[in-house]
Amino acid sequence: MIRLDHVSFNYPAQGATVRDLSFHIEKGEFVAVLGANGAGKTTTMKLIDGLIKPTEGKVVIGGKDTAAARVSERARQVGFLFQNPDRQICKNTVRDEILFGLCSVRKEDGEDTLRKRADEVLSDFGFSGDEEPFSLSRGQRQRVALASILAVEPDVLLLDEPTTGLDYRECCHIMDRVARMNREKGVTVVMVCHDMEVVLDYARRALVMANGQLLADGPVRTVFRDAELAEKASILPPQMIGLSLRLGAGFEAADTAEALTEIIVSKGGIPV
Amino acid sequence: MRDLFQYVPGTSLLHRLNPVTKLLLTVVICVAAFITDRLIFLLGLLALDLLIGFIAGVPKKTVNILKGLLRIALFLFILQALLTRKGTPVFWIVTDTGLLTAGKVVLRLMVVCMPLALVLAVTKINDLANALVQVLHVPYPYAFTITTAIRFIPQFLSEMDDIMEAQTARGVEFDAAKGFRKLGMILPLCAPLLISSVRRSEQTAVAAEVRGFHLRTAVSGYKQYPFQWIDLGAVLFCCALIAAAILL
Repeated sequence: MIRLDHVSFNYPAQGATVRDLSFHIEKGEFVAVLGANGAGKTTTMKLIDGLIKPTEGKVVIGGKDTAAARVSERARQVGFLFQNPDRQICKNTVRDEILFGLCSVRKEDGEDTLRKRADEVLSDFGFSGDEEPFSLSRGQRQRVALASILAVEPDVLLLDEPTTGLDYRECCHIMDRVARMNREKGVTVVMVCHDMEVVLDYARRALVMANGQLLADGPVRTVFRDAELAEKASILPPQMIGLSLRLGAGFEAADTAEALTEIIVSKGGIPV
Repeated sequence: MRDLFQYVPGTSLLHRLNPVTKLLLTVVICVAAFITDRLIFLLGLLALDLLIGFIAGVPKKTVNILKGLLRIALFLFILQALLTRKGTPVFWIVTDTGLLTAGKVVLRLMVVCMPLALVLAVTKINDLANALVQVLHVPYPYAFTITTAIRFIPQFLSEMDDIMEAQTARGVEFDAAKGFRKLGMILPLCAPLLISSVRRSEQTAVAAEVRGFHLRTAVSGYKQYPFQWIDLGAVLFCCALIAAAILL
């Protein structure tokens, strides 16, 4: 679905932001991109979306080089949810906001079809459509942004820190919907996230980056159990995994409170 | 454009001048440009602007400013040349007076705009604010407002880039459109820009207030801005420039 071949990118007046990046993501995968600030995660996401062109290498989505694809063509295939929804929202009502994205990439479907699709999405996300986006809460604005992206029904969803600044309930609203799209419609999800609990709950594969390079690529649980890698990439594994690692042999499989309780009970207590 | 108002560190003659003297020099160049009616003098002032940029050690920036201004100047030149009816026709409806007037208008525009940008390239924005308060006794809130407005320009430009990037990700083809169509695509983006600007201004105001902004007076700054011999030289040069603009 997504393939990066030896991709490098440098912003003018800066050194290389991304260096010799190569990986392949299959359709329907849920991938988390992890790493410290400045590791090149957002740049990688922009490269995947074709918002910036690689200085070296090639980014291919669905068999097509992003450098050769038209913006509207690419937007139909790839949806990008930014960390700050205010950059995306530009219309006076939620309905217009959803229609704006639809009209940009699916104009040929006709007004009636697009209006019907907008109504479906509005009801799915629990909006009446007449709300003023900028008077909504931050979490609700993020949901509006997600709704307008999902309305287009993209094959790939790129999420750049989608839950930053959101409370637990809004975070669940956003992530549960994304997970449902991934599970039911096979949408490929690539997510940059600093909340490792969210990563553990939703993602199945992790790409770990540092200094613009790929340090590791593997199942989320395996990556989190590599203490050396976590230190190199400045990531803090979720508390449960940290705890199970400290408890040592026999506890490694525990990554939820329930699993850990079960092991402790089966072992007759915590070893001293 | 992004780094147009950014300070460039250096030790040039221009860097060492008192911020108030730099402002005076800027004002004098602007006044001289409006006093004179001679094309050759305006060209001389433009050459002076370029010289200032080169002496300040920011030749690349100076050329970039000139390039940016040339685009606006070209548009203004055409407009002015087409709309002036006086004089002898030279080509179609364009007259010799029209060409001369258009030339003066665009030269004045460039002469006036360049030193303003160059002053900001050789003066730290805080020094400018403090010097305005200490030397010219401008009330601190006004000086703060002016300098904050200047400081925000690159941030707003960056914000606009991010907003356009977000819209591009949604399929808006800015690159494919030109002229009024592109303008029509960009105009709706003013809403998010305006809202983010207001939010940012409010946050800045609150942040300044909680750090005792209202307690600040002209004597709150520890840095002093005394006038030196080079400032006297600059003032004399300013007087000579004004005299030349009047007499020549």
